[in-house]
Amino acid sequence: MTTADRLTGAPAPAPGAPPPAKRAAGSTVPRHGRTPPSDRRRRRRRAVALLYLLPALLPYTLFAVLPMLHTAYLSLFDWDGVTLPSFTGLGNYRRIVTDPQLRAAAWHAGALILFFSVLPICVGLVSAAIVSRRAGRRGTALVRTVLFLPQVIPLVAVGILWRWVYADDGTLNQALRAVGLGGLADAWLGSFTWALPAVGLIGTWVVSGLCMVLFLSGTQRIDQEIYEAARMDGAGPVREFTAITVPLLRPEFAVALSITVIAALSSFDLVYITTGGGPGNSTVVPGILIYRLAFGGGAVGVASALAVVLTAVISLAVLVINRLSREAP
Amino acid sequence: MSPSPSSLSRRTFLAATGAVGAAVLTACSDLTPGVSASGNNSASPASTAVPADTKITLVVADADDTTMTPGLIAAFRAKHPNISVKRQYTGWDDYLKSINTTMSADSAPDIAQFTSGMQNLVPGRLLLKVGEYGKAYGWAEKFPGLDQITLTPDGKTVGTGDLYGVGGGLSFEGVYYNKAKAGKLGLTVPPATLEDLEALFAKAKAAGETALVAGNLDGGLNHPFNVLLSAYLTPKDREAWAYGHKGATIVLPEAEKAAETLKRWVDKGYVTPKVNGVSDNDATAAFAKGEGVFRISGNWAAAAVAKGLGEGAGYFNMPPVVSGGKVRTTGAGVYYCVSSKSKNTAAAAAFLDFAASAQAAAITAKAGFMAPDAGAMPSQSGLLGDVQAGWQTVVKDAGLQPFIQNASTPTMGDTLTTQLQLLAGGKVTVEKFLSGLQTDFENYHK
Repeated sequence: MTTADRLTGAPAPAPGAPPPAKRAAGSTVPRHGRTPPSDRRRRRRRAVALLYLLPALLPYTLFAVLPMLHTAYLSLFDWDGVTLPSFTGLGNYRRIVTDPQLRAAAWHAGALILFFSVLPICVGLVSAAIVSRRAGRRGTALVRTVLFLPQVIPLVAVGILWRWVYADDGTLNQALRAVGLGGLADAWLGSFTWALPAVGLIGTWVVSGLCMVLFLSGTQRIDQEIYEAARMDGAGPVREFTAITVPLLRPEFAVALSITVIAALSSFDLVYITTGGGPGNSTVVPGILIYRLAFGGGAVGVASALAVVLTAVISLAVLVINRLSREAP
Repeated sequence: MSPSPSSLSRRTFLAATGAVGAAVLTACSDLTPGVSASGNNSASPASTAVPADTKITLVVADADDTTMTPGLIAAFRAKHPNISVKRQYTGWDDYLKSINTTMSADSAPDIAQFTSGMQNLVPGRLLLKVGEYGKAYGWAEKFPGLDQITLTPDGKTVGTGDLYGVGGGLSFEGVYYNKAKAGKLGLTVPPATLEDLEALFAKAKAAGETALVAGNLDGGLNHPFNVLLSAYLTPKDREAWAYGHKGATIVLPEAEKAAETLKRWVDKGYVTPKVNGVSDNDATAAFAKGEGVFRISGNWAAAAVAKGLGEGAGYFNMPPVVSGGKVRTTGAGVYYCVSSKSKNTAAAAAFLDFAASAQAAAITAKAGFMAPDAGAMPSQSGLLGDVQAGWQTVVKDAGLQPFIQNASTPTMGDTLTTQLQLLAGGKVTVEKFLSGLQTDFENYHK
């Protein structure tokens, strides 16, 4: 059920008015056979609950929900950001679906899912398995810290750092030349072939640590007795990993996948700092286009429409991920 | 996942959220911000009189990370004790993002640094027409490059229409060179023509040097391309396009010559190899460390180059196509404009006028810019002196032309970067490169 379904599912009660026959409108069936509390007590409990939620709800509504609705509203206008906007209906959306540059951006965002989600989850899973098996031994705390470190560095700093790594005389090419592979050296971020994978691998580097920590906390939840039982049956580390760790980490998979897919689809900072969408248009992503349209191009309406579409796509992706992960294995 | 609350209370809750949201949205009458074009932005009556007996506060918004703007403010305050000037500095990227909103607010700053993108403020009548003050103060004689801040009422065309500000510090582009290497390779500088310059490139390349140090990761090849356009195009064609005149085109034989020259420099290996992977700043840094022989850049790079190469740093103006021709080059400036909401326009105009004074010239020169009053700049030695002498020739020849990406369309900066990367990467022909630029132009000037 989507939020919209829930919203329309129950009519908004007029403030102050006595609540209408709730039992009929709602779907509450007395739970666990207990007698339901009296109406007054329930009403009071709800009021108290709302009161507790208010400090979070109010800023969230003011600074997240309303601006989002406002963006959706602005997407229906042709607006340069300064003078009076003119209503265009769905014109901005029509422009989006026909723009070839946007189609390229969508492909790039899709490719980034490989680097922001698939690779980090694989790396995180393997490193979590190794670290958890060696828990308590010397050095594991250090390994954990080092792998998580990219997560705490601001993305802008990460971008600048990797620009040096990928430069023509940067560390990567120096390493290649040192081992006699100088022929492979390239100015990675300026290459039409390699710029997108290069930017993507920065994402892998950043997100892998987060995935590892997620999976580590998951493995700690798994009962050690299951592992012991498996070992008694003669399972080695690899078998343990594939037969126990991976299937039991399902909830962590869902969380990791959601976070990383959002990061991939809404990526902006890394691309902006490292390539700015270039060379040519080879690393342009939707986030870059939104920025260009709104702040440089004076096309706030189109930028808003693009932002709305991007938000919808991301929400849909997360919804699908959560649906799939809830099903029984 | 956490246990969910009873479905009924959650529903009520969400419904309430929706209700609150809808209520706030409907209560907000200003859903589509923006200003109607009904305000008054004419300065009248204008005189050079500055009230000396009342306390006045001027707010200056800028993104100038040199010492120029703060220096001008301090000197102006010392001259007018009753005027206090508050500076609102914002970093460049954030300034570009926020300035249009800042200028639309009721609390808009009195004076703001003009940047590309702010032409949208003109149809909104948020910038004061300062032409009347200009006449009273005689700015036409005091400031070079005023056409770059003269705009039509729709803000889309530069060079004609009303005056909206003045240029405090100006910048322009030319050729830096490494004196030690030029001497070793027997290169005669300055070259008399563009062809001679290319011959020097060939000689440097034959000696195993990078002839022209450049970086195009962020579109830095626009510097050579802009000065090549300045040299090849007629000033009329060049300005019509750069200023966004309706019907102008860059698909011209002369522009093709400029683009072909740049492409040839890349193809023949004169330019830094893998130029698309090097940023413009890194190229300056590499040149200052002694890499390569020549670098085409602006006077803003002079301090870094002088620091790195010391006495070994040299400079000459971009040579013309024909020997003995007038010097034409590309440049821009830090322009100050006045908000139409300002209550102290007389004081603001006095600040603008102050930027042309001899006192301001010293401050501007110290910050690395060229002063409007080229003759009043304190004389300097070494590289900075060479650059200054070059500037005096540019002013004498009236050779300062606008960057093609600044005023032609709001998106031209990104488009030019993209197209230059495609050109340098061998992905487009010269014809496709120019038509790519022209498409952006025509999408905006429909």
